[in-house]
Amino acid sequence: MNVPEVVEYARGLDHVTLADEGRWSCSVDYLSRMQALIREHRINRVVIASCTPRTHEGLFKRNIQQAGMNPYLLEFVSIREQVSWVHMREPEAATQKAKDLVRMGVAKAVLLEEGEEIRLPVKQDCLVIGAGAAGLSAALNVAGQGFQAIVLEKSDRLGGMLNTLSLVRHDSHHADAAQWVQSLAARVYETPGIRVITGAEIETIEGYIGNYTIGLKGGNGSPGERLHVSTIVVATGMREISPEGAFKHGENPRVMTQLELEKRIRSSKKFQPPEDREETNDLRSSGFHPEVKNVVFIQCVGSKNDTRGCCSIGCHAAVKNALALKALDPDIQIHILYRDLSMVKEEGEMLKEAKHLGIRFSRFPDDRYPEPVENLDGTLVVKTMDILIGKELQLPADLLVLTVAFQGDDTVEQLKGLLKVSANPDGFFQESHVKLAPLEFPADGVALAGCAKSPMMLKESIEAGIGAAMRVSIPMKRGYIEAEGIVADIDLTDCNQCGLCHKRCPYSAISVDADKNPRVIKALCKGCGLCAADCPRECITIVHFTDDQVLAQVDAALLEAPEKKIIGFVCHWCALGGVDMAGVSRLQYPVHARLIRVMCSARVSMKMMLRAFEKGAAGVLVAGCEFPTCHYISGNYAAESRVRRMKKKLARSGYDPERLINVWCSAADGPKFAKTMKDMVKQFNLDNAS
Amino acid sequence: MRDAILIIGGGIAGINCALNAARYGTKVYLVDDTASIGGMMARLDKTFPTNDCSICIEAPQMYDTDNQENIEILTHTEVRKVKAKNGGFDIRLVKRPKYVDEEKCTGCGACVEACPVSIPDEMDGKIGGKRKLISMAFPQAVPNMVSLDPACRSGEMQDAGACIGGCAVDCSQCRECPIALCVKACEKEGKNAVTLWQSAKNVKLEVKSIVVATGIDAARPAGDLLGYDLYDNVITGMQFERLMNAGGPTAGEIIRPSDGRHARRIAWVQCAGRGLAPGKGVPYCSKICCMIATKQVIITKEHDAAVETTVFYNDLKAYGKNFWGFYQKAVDAGVRYIRGRPYEVQENPETRNLVVRYENLETGKIETHEVDLLVLSTGIVPNERNAKLAKVLGIELDHLGYFKEKDPLTAPLETSVPGIYLCGGATGPIDIAESVVQACAAGMKAVLRP
Repeated sequence: MNVPEVVEYARGLDHVTLADEGRWSCSVDYLSRMQALIREHRINRVVIASCTPRTHEGLFKRNIQQAGMNPYLLEFVSIREQVSWVHMREPEAATQKAKDLVRMGVAKAVLLEEGEEIRLPVKQDCLVIGAGAAGLSAALNVAGQGFQAIVLEKSDRLGGMLNTLSLVRHDSHHADAAQWVQSLAARVYETPGIRVITGAEIETIEGYIGNYTIGLKGGNGSPGERLHVSTIVVATGMREISPEGAFKHGENPRVMTQLELEKRIRSSKKFQPPEDREETNDLRSSGFHPEVKNVVFIQCVGSKNDTRGCCSIGCHAAVKNALALKALDPDIQIHILYRDLSMVKEEGEMLKEAKHLGIRFSRFPDDRYPEPVENLDGTLVVKTMDILIGKELQLPADLLVLTVAFQGDDTVEQLKGLLKVSANPDGFFQESHVKLAPLEFPADGVALAGCAKSPMMLKESIEAGIGAAMRVSIPMKRGYIEAEGIVADIDLTDCNQCGLCHKRCPYSAISVDADKNPRVIKALCKGCGLCAADCPRECITIVHFTDDQVLAQVDAALLEAPEKKIIGFVCHWCALGGVDMAGVSRLQYPVHARLIRVMCSARVSMKMMLRAFEKGAAGVLVAGCEFPTCHYISGNYAAESRVRRMKKKLARSGYDPERLINVWCSAADGPKFAKTMKDMVKQFNLDNAS
Repeated sequence: MRDAILIIGGGIAGINCALNAARYGTKVYLVDDTASIGGMMARLDKTFPTNDCSICIEAPQMYDTDNQENIEILTHTEVRKVKAKNGGFDIRLVKRPKYVDEEKCTGCGACVEACPVSIPDEMDGKIGGKRKLISMAFPQAVPNMVSLDPACRSGEMQDAGACIGGCAVDCSQCRECPIALCVKACEKEGKNAVTLWQSAKNVKLEVKSIVVATGIDAARPAGDLLGYDLYDNVITGMQFERLMNAGGPTAGEIIRPSDGRHARRIAWVQCAGRGLAPGKGVPYCSKICCMIATKQVIITKEHDAAVETTVFYNDLKAYGKNFWGFYQKAVDAGVRYIRGRPYEVQENPETRNLVVRYENLETGKIETHEVDLLVLSTGIVPNERNAKLAKVLGIELDHLGYFKEKDPLTAPLETSVPGIYLCGGATGPIDIAESVVQACAAGMKAVLRP
């Protein structure tokens, strides 16, 4: 595109004091030039037309701040990703689009208001929910800094699942699971600053980081006690799913799950104090059926199907327990029937050991699980197809062990509501970001540790516990959290106290006082704008994304030739990421779109969509994160339902509802955005419109 | 400063460890021996199982690291000496010259344009990746600056057409340069940042604890592995990742090295080289390769659904949350997963297509499969500099070459030396999320040390 022409155009716009072209506007040189220009011309609003706010907004915000301006008086226009990279074959139309985008930026900039970071005090106390390896590790690390930790366990004993396990292994390292976790529990009891509450359940959770109140039921605290903490670590662990009668579980006492087997191994003499141990016949004296000679394991029970994935730890558990059985009785015959063996790095050594000891491995087809057949004496024969040797096997089984899938704790359903976080259908909590925020929830001050997220090994659980301690310790050590200036602001003048904003805020950032008046707890507000777009009386505005500002952008975009233009409202985190990806990938798409950035698609109100149609736009696009991802938990769902309602309203108002398009696009999905543009242009017949 | 910590390695683990410790309030020295932080993740196209664009999610963290006032980034820097003292450590670092002034360079690229010589990129060489003798590690590099190939500066590239070389005196003797085009180009931009006379710099630090975050590497295939050295169209998984990366040498076009034509039939060989003689392949399961290949087939199918994709594998490692669903997505997209073990590859000299002979593990039969492009998933190996670093730190490696945890079961991430901790690929093959978890935990341990 013709950059000097765009600069010249900008110079002629109302309110523009200065338009300057920088070759490398993010370079140290240019940044200092920008500061000098701001000071020299006493500039009070800045529009940057360059790459994308997703990478460089912070840099330019800091820069104008260093020049003495409030950082919120900056508007970012993306002419590289949205123009020069994606309209390479249409320089004239591209230049025109860049001018429009700059005009939109200026229109918004003149309406920008100062914003401020908001701080909320955070004290040094943390509630750890769940006292397994992850929870105890988290508590010890929190208390290790001199902070207060409360460990809350619903059962009457600390230690969690490890209490029921026999050995835990990693490489050549062994430990008695219960003994080890009990020594950890003992340290927790001894550590000053840790209070332990057992046998208690959570009834209510109110408040937010720095200010949580938890109501308890039962337990060894005082009745009806309410806990006051600043942060929370959720470490509620997991449990086996029920095999639900499959493979004769529950029918035949010889069929048991991996955890039921662990209990039996645990109760064998080997785990009793040495003075009580008998010399021989260890296996048979331990509650196993007396004639256990043949053991068969079936892997992936309830896993790797349409509803559940790989259980992550079943292969390791089976091999470990098979080795434990071999240690109890070297003559025992063991077959492990599997689909895929997942034994990584040093676990390969364990696998070698197992094979060396004669443990047999047999692979069955994904769609044909082994079948146990009962003999008259109650023993079993397991019929299985070994696909590696291509033969049907009939394996006698005095004991049939099922490696079943896992699910989250039964308290998850209740807790997720109280904490306002999400969990998958299996009751595993959904972390904030799969890759880069695996230990936290979207709500500040609430961390996630151990198997409450997904099944993991002991080592990983401990790491997650300590890591979660780090995540909650940062605000506790600093003494505050800081929220960005993009927050909701309520004007109570027209408020009819309907309570919708309070109910719908995904972060519980809107409280209601005794008079039913809503109030924004600004430090908690993430600025998604869901409340503002939903408020029936239009009382709520979002700093930096006010109705007036967004509408000014719509108006500016449609100033000329609106019938050829598409107004796109794109969310900052995903859809704009997709737009940027289309740019980076140089995907060429039609020039008709004029995009308006909102933090979340939930910010886009019916009023904004309607304005675009009223001003004659050819079409409107609302684009947000792909389900189920949403940077603001569920904003895209709210946007989707609002678009549906809007379509009905458009039809009633005489507009074509088919011209309102809704797309969900991940930050990586440039092609999807480009295709959407092409499709819309084709659907609205814009290429041929004169 | 005794309260500070040293983090060795600026990949995603080191970056997260640094950000956590710094936000906690601790001074952090983040050392990386390459020219930029970012590590392996900066080279990837996407991340499984969400197909997030890798650099898109990593770059904001890199920028945050750069802007965090408690973090001092030292790139091109090696740890040379570590001495335990007063419950902490005295550290000596050597900052190798980039021959470019860090304070002055803005990464404008004028010197890169001026440089007359392009050589094959170390990692992307086989798929046509090239770099200049003065270049930036990648577009989003932090610090955002170029560095000069030491081989050029020492005159070794003169035969390849480099402007530097043949002088009577060594560059270290000069303070200006009449011949180097990069120096001139920089002067013309008014910056004078290219300084061929720059020398290595010793840096001394005092810290209370050290976190080792040296990361992993993709195994290079032994030369004769499934035709890798013989045939242009046999590439590694990491090369394929670069091939599909919009920021890679082909701008995201999945094309064959031999003729630049779009590959219509592609196969992946999992566990390539595994189980072969020592030195021929990675002897253990590297855990993440199945999901990497699954990601690559899905992206390939997204690029062009008509491309025929096949994955030869032994055991599918769908070990994490939502990984199985990710595999199902690939299957639904029409990817063929064959339990099979390829043992021989032959090229058709005319078409340059490859015929893969493999044992079908489900039927026991020997079968053949013809493709345009073959991708070897060669597994993950430890950082090759681990051994040297272990010696400097006085800690041990395990028999596979990863750093040894004192008690991985019950005291993970600790080493035999109190105050030295591990995270990320330093401990073994690991994915990004697991690295981040360990980074937070190691950071906690490091800052809590009195």
